[in-house]
Amino acid sequence: MAATVAAPPPAAMAAAPGNPHKRKKQPKGKGRGNTGKNKKLKGPDDAVRRRRKPSSKFIKLLEKRARDYNSDDDEEVDHPPPRRQHAEGGDAAVDGDDNDDQEAPSSEEEASSSGDESGEEEKAAVTRFEQGCRAFRVAFTKIMSKKLPDDPLGPILSAHKKLVAAKLAEEADEHKSKGEARKEKRIAAEKGHVIPENHINNKEKMLIKVATQGVVRLFNEVSKRQTRKGLNPSRTKALGREKTLSVPSNQGQKGQASSSFSKHIGKDEDEPGWAPLRDTYMLGSKLKDWDKVQDSDVAKQTEVPLDNFSDDE
Amino acid sequence: MARVRNSGRRGGGSSGGGGKGKGKGKGKWKMPASVARKQQAVMANVDQVTGERIPKSFVFSRGKLPTTLRHLQQDLRKLMLPYTALKLKEKKRNNLKDFVNVASPLGVTHFLILSNPKSLPHLRFAKSPQGPTYTCQIEEYALAADIANSQKRPRSPAEIFKNSPLVVLSGFNGLGEPFKSFVTFFRHLVPAIDTETVKLSTCQRILLLQYDKEKEIIDFRHYSIKLQPVGVSRKIRKLMQNNQVPDLRDLKDVSDFVTKAGYGSESEPDDEAACVSLASDIDKLNRASRKSAVRLQEIGPRMTMRLVKVESGLCSGDILYPESVGKEDVAKKGQEDEEEIDDDEDMIELGDGSEDESEDED
Repeated sequence: MAATVAAPPPAAMAAAPGNPHKRKKQPKGKGRGNTGKNKKLKGPDDAVRRRRKPSSKFIKLLEKRARDYNSDDDEEVDHPPPRRQHAEGGDAAVDGDDNDDQEAPSSEEEASSSGDESGEEEKAAVTRFEQGCRAFRVAFTKIMSKKLPDDPLGPILSAHKKLVAAKLAEEADEHKSKGEARKEKRIAAEKGHVIPENHINNKEKMLIKVATQGVVRLFNEVSKRQTRKGLNPSRTKALGREKTLSVPSNQGQKGQASSSFSKHIGKDEDEPGWAPLRDTYMLGSKLKDWDKVQDSDVAKQTEVPLDNFSDDE
Repeated sequence: MARVRNSGRRGGGSSGGGGKGKGKGKGKWKMPASVARKQQAVMANVDQVTGERIPKSFVFSRGKLPTTLRHLQQDLRKLMLPYTALKLKEKKRNNLKDFVNVASPLGVTHFLILSNPKSLPHLRFAKSPQGPTYTCQIEEYALAADIANSQKRPRSPAEIFKNSPLVVLSGFNGLGEPFKSFVTFFRHLVPAIDTETVKLSTCQRILLLQYDKEKEIIDFRHYSIKLQPVGVSRKIRKLMQNNQVPDLRDLKDVSDFVTKAGYGSESEPDDEAACVSLASDIDKLNRASRKSAVRLQEIGPRMTMRLVKVESGLCSGDILYPESVGKEDVAKKGQEDEEEIDDDEDMIELGDGSEDESEDED
């Protein structure tokens, strides 16, 4: 009891500063009465008195609260002042909640003993139930008529929502990791693979130069060797032998020796390939030359190595 | 065919006999060819003309390769043509021993083995039964297709793959042991060229290996060789190449066709360094009498490699190279200073006394 007694003063203190503002808004003096009652409530310490007097007030208050609780905004717009008042009173009630709740049951117990008040209570309970049904219906229709947001997850309960979200996130992660793995694999497969630039850069130019040098050196070497070799048959040729068969080793020499244009053309015709395929094959004096060529070649073949060796050494 | 027999100075005995009469000569000249063909069937690994061993190669992979590396493997096979198995089929269960066993009867002497470990793809060069094995890490590579895509007019006619590439090794001068043997390996990777008998028309590709001393990487490039006559206008060149009647509608006189200047590109001065006087005619345009300019166009694949390991055996045996890295570096640094004077000496394989020209005649 000591706790209950000790509690009220702060409630009253809290209500007191709140009241002056609201009093101005409220034309009726009911608030005053309220405050007065509160003071009265606060003032007497006798338990019995306290029980009886507040009980009626609290019943009213509870009724109001119940009405307020069960009602929806639309229906009870009829009398806003009491509601407001109640709201104000509610403040006080909320502030002194412990007090009220403790005292309410006791008051109801007393009310149950007294017939009038119990009847009132029953009435309130019935209406409350009806109103609750209505409220539930209203609430339900409201929910059903509510437009759903464009949530990809759809209308689902929050727990489920969380679950689905987690699942989706997991899936995405998995997908991502799979994609990454594939990417990694591709990178691993392509490692070292470089797509060349479209233009030839300096390094490539340098390399081409080096390679060209190599080719030029080889070709020069070859031409040096082969022309030197070719000079030998020219000596035999000077002795009066002609050659028609184009021998690669002799061509360099020919190039040097061929001064007349006609000869040059003759060489052109020889060039294509195998002798029997040529137009001039087996024509005229070339038949004879054929033998001689061979002889000259044989001679050359025997001579050349020696000559070359002599040249080299 | 006849020309080869005749020109080959080592084949002198047979061709000398064939020189007696025309009809007979023809028959006799054919004989050696057929014999050679038979010989080729029996002993495919021997040069018909010289009787020397032709280096042949397998390009294959160990482990599963991703698509791009498989393309690289195919490009390497193409590069190693004609003495390689272009369509070598390999199975997962084939181990190295299988290849070795198959290689010896087929006369295959060199292996190029691609593998794709976690770090970077590796390319191993190995000699077949005995080794050594040079393991190179491919730091960067570009496929032949990539290079063709990067070029405006890619050029790789099928004919150029009928002969082995020339191998030019540059920047390897004065290096220590692993590189010396590496150079030797590459010299023997393709048939050696006899400068006295080689036909220049067979030299249509070049494989360049350039060693970068600073970065210690090897640049691996593959070019096609194109010869262009010097001092011949573009129009004439095209006329000769295409064998088509040129469009003369806009011209008033035939002489205009010759004298009129064409586009700017034709006036570009030919680099003197790239000019050669040919020993023999190569085609209609590049004749022995004229000077020709050497033009190289990359055909790929392109690789940047780093020599990481040398083993004495075939993918096994003593490790020769990486152990001596520290020593090697010191030795290299010492040699570098000396070698900087005569730096750009290319090592072309020249005059080893064998011929590889016989193949194109068939």
